[in-house]
Amino acid sequence: MIDEWYPVGLFGQIENGWKTALMGEPIEVAFDPGREVKVTSEDGRTLPVCVRYGHVWSSLGKPRKDLFAIPEADQPGRRFVEVGVVRVRCSPLRAVENFLDIAHFPFVHTDILGAEPHTEVHDYKVEIRQDEVWATQVKFYQPQAAKSAAGGITTEYMYRVPAPTCSVLYKTCPPRPGEWDVIALFVQPLAEDLCDVWPWMALFDDVTPMTDLIHFQQTIFLQDRSILENQIPRLLPLDPGMEIPTRADLTSVAYRRWLKRHNYKYGAQLVAQ
Amino acid sequence: MPARTPAGPIALWRSQSGHAAASADRCPHRGMRLSHGFVRGEALSCIYHGWSYARPGNCLRIPAHPGLTPPETIRVATHEVEESGGVIWVAVGEPTIQPPRLEGLAPLRSLTAHAGIAVLEAVVGAKAGPEGLVWQAQNSQEIRLLLVPQEDDHTLIHVLLDEKSSASQRVAASRAIESLRRTAEYLQAKGIAS
Repeated sequence: MIDEWYPVGLFGQIENGWKTALMGEPIEVAFDPGREVKVTSEDGRTLPVCVRYGHVWSSLGKPRKDLFAIPEADQPGRRFVEVGVVRVRCSPLRAVENFLDIAHFPFVHTDILGAEPHTEVHDYKVEIRQDEVWATQVKFYQPQAAKSAAGGITTEYMYRVPAPTCSVLYKTCPPRPGEWDVIALFVQPLAEDLCDVWPWMALFDDVTPMTDLIHFQQTIFLQDRSILENQIPRLLPLDPGMEIPTRADLTSVAYRRWLKRHNYKYGAQLVAQ
Repeated sequence: MPARTPAGPIALWRSQSGHAAASADRCPHRGMRLSHGFVRGEALSCIYHGWSYARPGNCLRIPAHPGLTPPETIRVATHEVEESGGVIWVAVGEPTIQPPRLEGLAPLRSLTAHAGIAVLEAVVGAKAGPEGLVWQAQNSQEIRLLLVPQEDDHTLIHVLLDEKSSASQRVAASRAIESLRRTAEYLQAKGIAS
């Protein structure tokens, strides 16, 4: 678990550096004298660093592979939106699982990402591709799917979980049919029950002001926070029995199994209590 | 609304037809607090995915699957609820007796004190019984207190007064109870500090 890459802040704010934490350990992020990004643990260790998707990434261990790829990050014509941070008093895994969920749209993001009576979740496909969780052919009726959407449309989604605390979603792009908007959630585990969530987007939208794009995403995520801070238990239960999934929860079921198979337990609860 | 009993947190709600109900404060789907939910008709719905529950605790509807009749196994634990004289009583387990009838008393207000029951009893100078704590406060008529222990040494206090009390008597009792809270909180803090 310590060998994964985790987001630790926005590269755009590196100038003055900052202090934060990773899995309970205080760390410091700053430029070194040669203007290279340096992440240091409290005991003075220099930690691995990479800068990608607008964020600084680090690890308390030794990552065995590069940070996962998001090919759309290099696609011309996209606007990249660094939404900033939302601190949530919940397990990092609960934050990711909520991001993978569509059935809550009509109730939590009412009149934005969903609205009654359009609550039905149609069957979709879930599979493991190259050791990532993928959900495809996910369709849902949305009153205002994106800032650039004028009215209600049926949006198609694809979800992927390329790392235990990160998820990338692809959704119908209203101004450009045939392309996908990309919205990612990078979750920094501060502790097992506390995280900083860094949403990031790569959109085809040349019209909407950056502030509005950020506000839209922050509104959505603050609505999610009101849920995430009130789930019991705070840790994500990986064993069946404590919570009841339905067909609409297949992505969540696959995510929990995938975590368990990888023995990823940080922020998880293994035995029903 | 959320409430707390010695058996744990509960979601307390009133159906459209006026029946009070109490269930465990956790939706079995994803663990969301049901006290954040909403009441429609005779059902309490979870705010996360809209799963709705009847007063006996069985799941009525899963909006993600409108055509599905939820199996009987999906349910929330419930508690027996009785209303009498303006007070809602929630049972822990299966009670063999009815809640006390507090004849001639009317509810005045509820408040939370950061003090334990023992401290409140010490300030009042009496012990709480099944019918609450009887307090003869200065500058007020007799006040009845129903004490419910909460988390972290907090106590929820329901205040009742003679139902024939005048407006000025109710104001006097309300001030007396504020003063009781301040004294008890002071003693509680001092007790912890010493």
